[in-house]
Parts: sequence; C-alpha cells; structure tokens
Amino acid sequence: MSNLLLLLAVVLLSTSQVLQKVGAARRLAGKQKPSEWIAALFSPELLGAIACIVAGTALWLAVLYRMDVSRAFPFLSLTTVLVMAASRFLLREPVSWHRWAGVLLIAGGIALVAST
Amino acid sequence: MTRARWIGAAALSASIVLSALGQLGMKAGMQNLKLARASGEIAWSLASSPPLREALLFTAGGLVAYALSLLAWLAVLVRYRLSYAYPLLALSYVLVYAGATQWPELAEAATPQRTVGTLLILAGVGLASLAGGRGSK
Repeated sequence: MSNLLLLLAVVLLSTSQVLQKVGAARRLAGKQKPSEWIAALFSPELLGAIACIVAGTALWLAVLYRMDVSRAFPFLSLTTVLVMAASRFLLREPVSWHRWAGVLLIAGGIALVAST
Repeated sequence: MTRARWIGAAALSASIVLSALGQLGMKAGMQNLKLARASGEIAWSLASSPPLREALLFTAGGLVAYALSLLAWLAVLVRYRLSYAYPLLALSYVLVYAGATQWPELAEAATPQRTVGTLLILAGVGLASLAGGRGSK
C-alpha cells in the first residue's frame, strides 16, 4: 500500500516537472512583468503542472505518515530518471552519456538507501 | 558574475534549500499527526493537543516552503535546460538526510547504507550536472 502510494506520487511529480518545463518555455520565456507571470500560471500547461503537484503532494503526505523521510525521499530520484528520459525523448534535449552515467549512480544510491 | 547569472544561481540555491526544508517540515507534521492519533485524544480543540497543533504548524510550514521552492524552480527553468538543472535539485537529498538524522524532532537512524547511498547520489548528481557545460539556454 505504501509502495503503491509512493509510485503514484513519483509519477505525478515527474509529470509535473515536464509540464512545468513546457509551460516555462512556452509561456514564461522573455516575460518580465509579474502580471505576465500570473497570466502564464493559468495556461493549460502550468495549471496541469499545479494539479499534478497538488495530487502528488497529497499522496506524498500519506507516504510520509507511514515511512521515514530519509528512506522515502530518495525514492523521488526515480523522478530524475523519468525526467531525464522525458528530456531526451519528449523534449528532444541532447543528453550526454555522462548524464546517463550520473543517473545510474543516483539510481544505485537510491537502491542502497531503499534497502534499509 | 552578471546580474542574470546571479539571479539564476540564487533561484537555484533557493529551490534546493526550500525543497529540503519543505520535506523536513511535512515529515515533522505527519509525525506529530501520528503522535496525536496514537495518544487517542479526540482533540477538535487545538489548544488541548500540542501534537495536533505542531502537526498543523509543521505541515503548513513545510507546504509553504515547498510552494516557494516551486516558484523559485520556475525561475530556474526559464534560464537552464531541464536535464542540467534537475539533477542539481538532487542536492536536497543530502540536506534532507542530514536534517532527518540530525534534527532532534525527527531523529531518524543514520545507517551505513543510507549514508553511502546518499553519497552515491551526490556523485551521480555531480556527474550528471557538471559534464557538458552549464546547459543554459
């Protein structure tokens, strides 16, 4: 049950990252005035990002209720892996092998922490 | 350092620190909520239940820090590529680990596996972020 909640929270928070980046690129780039930023917050991309964050955070609180934060938080690095994959395959950003190697190290660290 | 770079660095630092504070606050809140429930008090009056009061305060504080970290993060995203900036955010793993084990409110156990695992994450973060330039766009 806790693990299912954890997985769902990670997927929602990863989705939010990608929506935030798309929203920032499309709606925020070059905007300086606060009023322009507030208008951008109501774009579909950033509203979707906020919805994912709110739902993901609610689930996250339920996870923290059941688990040490020093054990639960490293699982969020799964987000790093998902976001890196999305950066490469959805956003078409170049991702060097160094970054993939870094992601592997991070994942190894997570596995170690998660084993406790 | 130019003004734009200074703002970028400040926003990135704020995202990292605030997201760690947010996690610790939310955890402290949930821990107190658990305490309040375990004590069996049906405390609809906050004054009569210190754990419930702390649960609300810590959770609210954690959520505010988390929300502020997200705003700072948007300012980061305008300036940097996601594949560069996101791994740097993982520095908060070290801050959360240090806080969870050293802050008396949480006092979670520091084990060799968790310490080595967290250091591995740091190494991975360094490799993923420093290779191939700043990634600004």
